[in-house]
Amino acid sequence: MGSHVMDNVVAMTGSRPVFGTGERANKLKSTRFGSKLVNDYWNGVFAAKEEGKKVVWYNGTYIPPFFHSHDLVWVHGEAWSAMLAARHQEVGAQARGDQRGYDRELCSYARTHIGQMLIEMDKARAEGGAALEDPRMEAMMKLPPPDMIVNAYPYCSSGQQWDDITYRVFGKKVPMFTIQIPLLWGGRSDAGYMQGEEWHQRSRYVADQLIELTRFLEANTGRKFDFDRLSDTMGYIKKAAELRLEGMEMCKARPAPASFFDWIVSIAPMSFLPGDQNIVDYFQGVKEEITQRLLAGEGAVKNEKYRLFFDGMMNWNKVGWLADKFAQVNACVVAGRYTHMSFWQEPQLIDLKDPILGMAQNYLVCPNNHGAPIMIGEIEKHCDYYEIDGVVCHASRTCRGMTNSQFLIAGSAKKYGRQAMFFEGDVADESFYKDELLNVRLEAMVEAMEAKRRAA
Amino acid sequence: MSPAFASMKRAAEQPMQYAADWKARTGRKVVGLLPMHFPGELAHAAGCLPVVLQDDAEPVTVGQANVFNFYCGLNRSLIDQTMRGNFDGLDAIMFGDHCVQLLGTADVIRAERPSLPILFNQLCTTLDANWALRETLGTFEQLWKELEDLTGHEITTSSTLASIRLFNRSRAQMRRLYEMRRRGEIAISGRDMQTVVKSSMVMDRAEHVALMDELFAALPRQVGSSSDITVYLSGHMCHAPKPAIIDAIEESGARVVNDDLYVGWRFIHADMDESLPPIEAMARWYLDKNRKLPCPTRTMQGIDWEDYLLGEVERSQARGLIVLMVKFCEPHMYFYPEIKEAFDRAGIPHLLIETEHEEMPMEALKTRIETFVEIAKRRADSKAA
Repeated sequence: MGSHVMDNVVAMTGSRPVFGTGERANKLKSTRFGSKLVNDYWNGVFAAKEEGKKVVWYNGTYIPPFFHSHDLVWVHGEAWSAMLAARHQEVGAQARGDQRGYDRELCSYARTHIGQMLIEMDKARAEGGAALEDPRMEAMMKLPPPDMIVNAYPYCSSGQQWDDITYRVFGKKVPMFTIQIPLLWGGRSDAGYMQGEEWHQRSRYVADQLIELTRFLEANTGRKFDFDRLSDTMGYIKKAAELRLEGMEMCKARPAPASFFDWIVSIAPMSFLPGDQNIVDYFQGVKEEITQRLLAGEGAVKNEKYRLFFDGMMNWNKVGWLADKFAQVNACVVAGRYTHMSFWQEPQLIDLKDPILGMAQNYLVCPNNHGAPIMIGEIEKHCDYYEIDGVVCHASRTCRGMTNSQFLIAGSAKKYGRQAMFFEGDVADESFYKDELLNVRLEAMVEAMEAKRRAA
Repeated sequence: MSPAFASMKRAAEQPMQYAADWKARTGRKVVGLLPMHFPGELAHAAGCLPVVLQDDAEPVTVGQANVFNFYCGLNRSLIDQTMRGNFDGLDAIMFGDHCVQLLGTADVIRAERPSLPILFNQLCTTLDANWALRETLGTFEQLWKELEDLTGHEITTSSTLASIRLFNRSRAQMRRLYEMRRRGEIAISGRDMQTVVKSSMVMDRAEHVALMDELFAALPRQVGSSSDITVYLSGHMCHAPKPAIIDAIEESGARVVNDDLYVGWRFIHADMDESLPPIEAMARWYLDKNRKLPCPTRTMQGIDWEDYLLGEVERSQARGLIVLMVKFCEPHMYFYPEIKEAFDRAGIPHLLIETEHEEMPMEALKTRIETFVEIAKRRADSKAA
């Protein structure tokens, strides 16, 4: 990436916040294997057409096992936007979206992904494939167009509209299948986390739609769906999910051997990478490193003094930056709603002989697909388990799915004697992040936690 | 102003006061409806007063504690009103929509007023899915039971059919008024049209129907000025635009001839089939909505909002389109570029106005509207020439 625009962005994010003790986060080394897996995955995506594979574009939940089992290549719009943001390559795509008239307040995942589609369409329309000279486009030139679109968005209505635009950008010709994953409102007298009439009704409703999805895939490939292969795929995923949860639970220790930010970079293997031995190896490696750190008393944050819970969507422009930021005030972000309450977080529900119902149920319990009382109850359980001192809410500007209920979450934290703070940012639009705002609020939060300890 | 219209205006301006008076008078329950696709007919059949919850003109103050400022004005106002106690007279809220912001608002209302039942039954959002009818029937059956539990009375098929007939009649009356305006037989302002529809959302429907009969009898038959440029209003899918914006449009030499606003044609455009069992009539009414007036919050392939708008603008003989986009309304933000490009291709002038709940810079807005009206006039003149 050689453009002057990108140079500016890289120059800014390459520096580190001058803040606190100057300590850096002690990141897990085993997660580096994930970068290789992610790179291999995208290279596979870029090569899909040459290899004669059909491509599905999808948004929403962790639905790729259906595609993997049917020999399809899949592109997750959010993952693509998050990757561009994490690599600071999102600006060109967002600018193209702006140009067409998408408002800056619209989901930045969607704006980035749609902007990319528009660039691809520009390219396709240009006679003879006229080269786009702007180097910002480099990372966006290879994404294969969809043969199918699948939408499976829990909770957030924005996802369906985003895919509707995808359908339209590609000329309303690409077959599209929409799965509704309804909110578990939890208003009935028997409602609770994974219990009650609503839970059972909705589980069946989503499972039925997943069966329909396999028929859609069959109809658009002319091949029979192999349910045995789905069970095999889910075998790897279930094992990886169990290892991940075991590793997370080990972080109850003080100091916590891994932080929320290690789990953030571990989302890709659970969310959208192929369900094969690699993801088992990945989480086996993570768990082993956590075990070694545990034995050595090594923490993810040097001199861990405070333990925090992170609420909200990730700011993908700032993963390393934020990891260091918290480490610099001796605060370990031990757990988070996004990492610890999602991505096959209930693997015991999956019956490998007949996995679909359990898959539907995992999709339903995504971190914001419950009404606030049940969802917040689950956050409180995590905060108790990990002995959390404070809750940090990332008010991600264009993500209403994760900002909904954050005032209630902060209220619940305070009710149980925990500090709570907000900082502003966004999932994939760096312009909403205000560093100094986080600095002063984090300093104040640390002061408050310290004062509370002194008073105890 | 006719006495009938004055009654409508009072109810539209103070819906919760109207509901409180109605409750005191009848001793029956008041059920709030969160927009935008849930039928009030069922609550009416249960003997309740269904009231579509509206934003109010008050700036958001105490509500700021529970909602971010990057949420749309309706959601912020609903939360603010909850915290100010405006909805304390409600006996329940019915809610079935999918907009992510409204889901959060419902949760805040539940947290602030834990004793207020929220009958939440999420509707199927993929209207052309092969399971959509089955699922929608199930949703309304569940709601039927929950309303019976709320009131302690059985809801009969005959009472539901009677409610459907009444609501159909009410919608037909308002559609007639729309048609009269479109044909230029009456000169009703956009502001007054909003009052008529908004009052139907909050009043006892039988009372509103009677008032409409009176209104028709009293309406002076007159046409708008022939020098006015005719425009179509689109947008505002969950609540009413500020009347002052519509005034500014009309004071700039434009005449509103039609709209697809929620507090407008969108609310009244379709009836339920009285020949079907009531549950099925409600389900089909819901599932057919997009075929009759597309909504960007619902998925349906082959149905396009911009095509609908192009057709309706032509049918209404409007010379321009004014898009009223609620700030932070995600569904609208996704689809506006589609509308813009379609109207550009068709050579029909259009103007985007982003609206806010709090005060807007009306003078600057007027300048933009006046410029737009001039452009639309010139375009119309050159077409005529």
